[in-house]
Amino acid sequence: MNTVSQIIGLNWIVIGPTLALVGTALILLFCTITIATSDSVKKVVTISGIFMTLFAIFLKFGLFSTAGPSSYFSEKILLDEFSLFGNVLLGLVLLLNFYPIWNSSFELKDKTTEAIILTLMSTAGFMLMVDSENFMMLFIGLEIGSISLYALAGINKGSLLSNEASLKYFLLGSLASCVLVYGISLMYVSLSITGVYETTIAISFIGIENIPLTTLVGILLLIIGLLFKVAAAPFQSWAPDVYQGSPTGYVGFMAATAKVASFVVLARLCIVSLGLVMDKFELFFSAIIILSILIGSLFATVQTDMKRLIAYSGVIQSGFILSGITSGVNGTSASLFYLAAYIVQLIGIFLIFSVITGELSSDFSMENLSGLFIENKYLSICFSIFMLGLAGLPLTSGFVSKFILITNLWSYEKYILVFALMLSTVAGFYFYLKPIWIAAIDKPENSVPPIQLKLNDKISVGVLAGLTITLGLFPNILINISRWVVQNYL
Amino acid sequence: MGIKLSGLIYTLILFPLFGAVVIFLMPKKRFELFQPLAIFLSIIPFSVCLYLFSNENSKGSYQQFDSINWISSYGIKISLGFSGMSHLLLSLTSILVLLSFLSVTENYSKSKGFIGSILVLHFAVNGVFLSGDLLSLFIFFEAILIPMYFLMGIWGGDNRRYATIKFIIYTVFGSIFIFIGTVYTGVISYSQTGTLALDYVTLSNLNFTSQQSKALFLLFTFGFLVKVPLFPLHTWLPDAHVEAPTAGSILLAGVLLKVGAFGILRVSIPFFTEGFLEYRDIIATLSVIGIIYGAVVAIAQIDIKKLIAYSSISHMGFVMLGISSGNLLSLEGAIIQMVNHGLTSGALFMLVGFVYERRHTRRISDFGGLKITMPKYAAIFLFTSFASIGLPGLNGFVGEFMILMGSFGTYKLLSAISAFGVVLAAIYMLWAYQRMFTGEINNEENENLHDLDTRELVSVIPLLVLMLFIGVYPAFIESYVLNDAQIITNVVELFSGGLN
Repeated sequence: MNTVSQIIGLNWIVIGPTLALVGTALILLFCTITIATSDSVKKVVTISGIFMTLFAIFLKFGLFSTAGPSSYFSEKILLDEFSLFGNVLLGLVLLLNFYPIWNSSFELKDKTTEAIILTLMSTAGFMLMVDSENFMMLFIGLEIGSISLYALAGINKGSLLSNEASLKYFLLGSLASCVLVYGISLMYVSLSITGVYETTIAISFIGIENIPLTTLVGILLLIIGLLFKVAAAPFQSWAPDVYQGSPTGYVGFMAATAKVASFVVLARLCIVSLGLVMDKFELFFSAIIILSILIGSLFATVQTDMKRLIAYSGVIQSGFILSGITSGVNGTSASLFYLAAYIVQLIGIFLIFSVITGELSSDFSMENLSGLFIENKYLSICFSIFMLGLAGLPLTSGFVSKFILITNLWSYEKYILVFALMLSTVAGFYFYLKPIWIAAIDKPENSVPPIQLKLNDKISVGVLAGLTITLGLFPNILINISRWVVQNYL
Repeated sequence: MGIKLSGLIYTLILFPLFGAVVIFLMPKKRFELFQPLAIFLSIIPFSVCLYLFSNENSKGSYQQFDSINWISSYGIKISLGFSGMSHLLLSLTSILVLLSFLSVTENYSKSKGFIGSILVLHFAVNGVFLSGDLLSLFIFFEAILIPMYFLMGIWGGDNRRYATIKFIIYTVFGSIFIFIGTVYTGVISYSQTGTLALDYVTLSNLNFTSQQSKALFLLFTFGFLVKVPLFPLHTWLPDAHVEAPTAGSILLAGVLLKVGAFGILRVSIPFFTEGFLEYRDIIATLSVIGIIYGAVVAIAQIDIKKLIAYSSISHMGFVMLGISSGNLLSLEGAIIQMVNHGLTSGALFMLVGFVYERRHTRRISDFGGLKITMPKYAAIFLFTSFASIGLPGLNGFVGEFMILMGSFGTYKLLSAISAFGVVLAAIYMLWAYQRMFTGEINNEENENLHDLDTRELVSVIPLLVLMLFIGVYPAFIESYVLNDAQIITNVVELFSGGLN
């Protein structure tokens, strides 16, 4: 006889990572407001919390291998390949960003652990979003994650740019959330759809020709809400300002988590829920991709602020990733590889920026890079590796991801997209090589300010640069993982 | 056979990279050791190439070596391959790298970055010549850009920023077509073999429809022609040559221009022959325009380095004319002319570098009467000019004569026109010689120039010996290109017979 908990699928391991993060955040909050705890204790608590999270993700793998894709908590939470992939990536993003975030917190005037708590909560929210089967759970996860990010953007209260970034992110982000929720409600109104698998069932039950327009609009609005989070054009306008204004130490984390969670959810939506009706959205997605590439390339060429440049480059990369996700199962696996390779470079670049100008600085103009090669060869070589990786030069992970993606797109006969994407690569060589020129080739006009490179930053940058090269030379493992994620949907 | 061939091939690819790592790890204070160490490090690939001359395989047609599984789930392998043509070009590369290390005395020869960049360039170029599949060809083709970016960017002339960006953007624009072509071939290969195998052995067994063959030929050839460069795509070349440092110019003219022609001979024509037969008239016409245009523009130059750069366009036009004629004689001539042009233009850039180090100018009008102060230099320059013009008995004659003989069978009018290129070459080279070396010394700065010293003589004379050797005994080099030319000729004849 089944107990009630078995029927509704109570299984704490499935939400273990989220629970571990929330628990750690609560302990830290408690430590902060009640008893005076030394920083080293807080640090130990945070690190052990992060490793608990990673261990909980490991436990989920065990559950998955015995049960296969399944839903829990009365079909609110889903355990499938996508959620595992997303969890692992989010956990690694948190781990790799731990030191910059930790160091930034002590640069702040009041030295609070607020930022750490927000970071943990944001990751918890996005993990919930990745795990969600029910669309309301998706919304809750997205909001927990995003609201923490809005606060993180404005954590440097004294800085005007930081405040501006936070307000802009908050206003536009809330608007996007409204659109998303409206989309979900439209889907519920028209066909009583509330979840990922319900959408599939409802669509196949009612027949592709008979889907009401309201449902399609609902799906479209849901997708637009997610596209806002990944800064695909024409929903990109927040990204440059937020990247530029937010304290540099946090931007790598902010950009990476939101992108990972939204893309994984989008991939699952396109593969699992909308497999039958993707044709109806083909024009929409093609327009989004072409616009992203065009706007990203055009604006990136004229930027003088590096953080804005990386933001526009993120718009282009979103176009690349979307083109794979929306074109089919193999394309999605290529996109997931692309995503993983891209966030490594993204985090690395922002780590280098935060080392050069300090964790709390907002602007990062290109002049800040001049003389980097003379001052610190190690950083400038790693920086060049990341930029060349973004440009997609062979021997870096950027090339492999572009190669697989384009091969898949070509096999889906999307020739126009292929040519558009490749032309943007040519433009990319112009604006990705320009910073390298300033950092390594130009003679600096003014004296170069000294850079203090801490050991942990050195190790993090080295690991990320090493990953970029390693994934470019031996991409086999990650490609197999990204194919494993989608193999059930072939 | 004492040493395994594949071991030697791996040495040729990996040793320059190892050398670059060694240079980068050297302590900065021992800068006086960098140049001797670099010379030592580049002697090893050179001696491997020399040793390969004793190996029978080095004359053979294309053969594939080890394949490494790269992306197993897509079935992509990285393969290495080798043929007589590769061997000649590898030898050319290794001797030019060695001699450019020997010839460089400017301040930057003390810089690790400079020497390391040249060694990385050597690695990438060797990788192109030894690549056994489309993907590794593309990877090494693009990898050439990184060392060139730093060589031209850091150690180039005043206008280096413009020239470097132009060079990079042109090459990348060309190479995205190669990339798309590679992807397209991969998809076709996937539909026929079930894997994304791109190695040349698999490619030769694939069946391309006429339409696919034409599209792929255009994609690949366009990318390679930017690098050659063919006439309307050539504008990056004079800028790049003028702004690059001496060693960079030597390698750019001597080796990098050959990469494009090598790609056309190795990939475009053998695998996409129908496309070649469709479009070769256009390529031949453009090559002849390039021959005449390059020569005419060279006559008008006031900068000696720019003059040699435009003469390169003219000479590479001969190579492309030979390739597009597609018969045995012209193809042999084209490959031989690739080697010849590497030797002569390398030597000319080196010589210009010598005089630039003394006078810090490259304007022809700043010189005059150098024969009086620098007799050895004048003699060597004249000898190299004759080789470049194509005087019988020197190497230039062999290649151009074979190309013109061969192409006359296919394109009578075009080869007749292109013969004027030889006459124009005599005009621009000899007129430049006359203005620079003969007459009275009318610029007092030229009065106290010292002649070439032993090191400079040692670094240029091997090239002169090779020019004379190829010119007097062309049968030796011809035996190395015969098999490659024969295979391409067979394919072309097979398809043109089938079409008629």
